[in-house]
Amino acid sequence: MNEEVTLERSYRRILAWYPRSFRTDSEDEILAVLLATAEDGQTRAGLAEAWDLVRGAVRMRLWPAAPRPRSVRVAVKLMLAGAAAELAAMITVISALGSVRATVAARDAAAMQAVHLHQVTVIGLAPVAIGMWLWLAWANGRGRDWARLLSAGCFALISLSVMAQLAQGVAAFAPATMIAAALVWALGLSSVVLIFTPAAGRYYRPQPAQQ
Amino acid sequence: MQEATFLILTALADGPQHGYGIITEVRQISGERVKLRAGTLYTALDRLRADGMIGVDREEVVEGRLRRYYRLTPEGTAVLAEEAARLHANAAAALRRLNPGLAGGAA
Repeated sequence: MNEEVTLERSYRRILAWYPRSFRTDSEDEILAVLLATAEDGQTRAGLAEAWDLVRGAVRMRLWPAAPRPRSVRVAVKLMLAGAAAELAAMITVISALGSVRATVAARDAAAMQAVHLHQVTVIGLAPVAIGMWLWLAWANGRGRDWARLLSAGCFALISLSVMAQLAQGVAAFAPATMIAAALVWALGLSSVVLIFTPAAGRYYRPQPAQQ
Repeated sequence: MQEATFLILTALADGPQHGYGIITEVRQISGERVKLRAGTLYTALDRLRADGMIGVDREEVVEGRLRRYYRLTPEGTAVLAEEAARLHANAAAALRRLNPGLAGGAA
């Protein structure tokens, strides 16, 4: 009996790797199976057994089985596309860095300071923006309700910055910059619309299970 | 469909089974070849449940431990039948080509 208690503790330590929802639902059940398949006198999880359990835990965490509604799946893909768009924009800015500076220096040396500041801001903020898109894609895919609200907040920020840019006059910006901004804004809008559809709502706020 | 998934669905084809029962059945069906481990089994069950292929038939408490019985849903039955027919057709084609003389024979 003592051996079984030790063995159970050993299994539970590995089962702690599983997502909480799975453990609430199935930990005792899988434990019963593990104990039933254990050898007589076994006091700890075997190596192959432990590896199999950890692999299952990693798989469940990376590819959760909960059926995501189509709208959420598409929204997650759009958010990943948003991250890719930011990355592409950042690469464009970095690759044009030298030529832009040369042009500005030749035409209007006084504007150099402003250009420098602008470039540093854009390149500095891009990793943050990419990180936000990826993080929100991850959290929304898992149905975190706060992620939904945060996404809406971020979209509001994007909208404000686009409006601020428009207020400075379209002529001030290169067409590529405007297209990138419009693309990012459209991705933000469509993903936020998708995560606030009724079908998505049921995913984010599931009905409590009956007692 | 992965072989483990196919065998799990097959184990449930003639009636509900609990986790340990599925492991035993799968070993038997595969001629002692496939020995499912608990982690593989429960990852597969989790996904099959989410995809609506299987459902919980009933729960029992045996010696203070939860025992949950799973059964195939109509959708799971259809998917298993389709996959079995596909594998059967492939196997038949392979046998026909290996034994051209026995066309329309044992396969």
